[in-house]
Amino acid sequence: MVDHSVIGPAAFVRGRLTGTSSLEVHGRLEGDIDLSGDVSIQSSGLVAANVAGRRIVVRGAVKGDLTATEAIEMETGARVVGDVRAPRISIAPGALVRGFVTTGPREDASSKKTSRVAASAPAPTFAAAHRPAAGSTSTAAPAAPPRSTPARAPEASTPAKARASMSGSRVPPLPVVPTRKKGAKAVQKKR
Amino acid sequence: MASTVIGANITIEGELVTDEDVVVQGTLRGKLSAKDGLVVEHGGVVEADVNAGPTQIAGAVTGNIHSTDRVDLQNGAKVVGNVKATRITIADGAQFKGNVDMDV
Repeated sequence: MVDHSVIGPAAFVRGRLTGTSSLEVHGRLEGDIDLSGDVSIQSSGLVAANVAGRRIVVRGAVKGDLTATEAIEMETGARVVGDVRAPRISIAPGALVRGFVTTGPREDASSKKTSRVAASAPAPTFAAAHRPAAGSTSTAAPAAPPRSTPARAPEASTPAKARASMSGSRVPPLPVVPTRKKGAKAVQKKR
Repeated sequence: MASTVIGANITIEGELVTDEDVVVQGTLRGKLSAKDGLVVEHGGVVEADVNAGPTQIAGAVTGNIHSTDRVDLQNGAKVVGNVKATRITIADGAQFKGNVDMDV
């Protein structure tokens, strides 16, 4: 136990834990854990904190985000409510997890956001890639707008088509909402 | 082994309350309550008001110490604050600045 810390089963800690030590939690802890060592939350442990460590093993209860630079293991009996992020994550049968789970290489919060934006971006870039391809032909300028308009037209017409199909056999759940809204508006107007 | 250990390379900023014993090898700032005994080892730093049972100090403590039993300031200890306990020993080589109150 050269570089090892323990929160005993009867102990209650409120505050911020920082350092390079490894930590074992048998008791209660509120606040923040920011360590570069291993963190284990034993079955009697109750943690209400964001936990950052190298390797996190959970057998008890955690309310807060878990972030590990190596791995997170949620074993049988673990109760985790919060976002879980590590290169490797394991959830054993019998572990309860509620939150956003992300595996893969370590990223900062800012790069995480940018990557999400980039993930949502491909559709516009794809369309942009198509326009120059069409622009390479001589009749590019006239050709591009019609292509874009049909592309928009189906989107606009989909509710109408859905309504038309509703009278038929199909009853998709989503278009019900706009029709209800419009019906409600009409009622309001009448009143 | 003690039930709660604050390891050498860890810092707790806040409050530690336990009915069991505590060993401090690292740093604790805030408030410390250990009913069953406290050991501040050499290299341990406590900047907190301390409520404890039998207390042994070989590290640095800044804050008032209130023990229901005894307080031993060992060689290498550095204590700044008032000490209130039934029995107090100050070993040769211990540094101490503060009031002593043995009237419990």
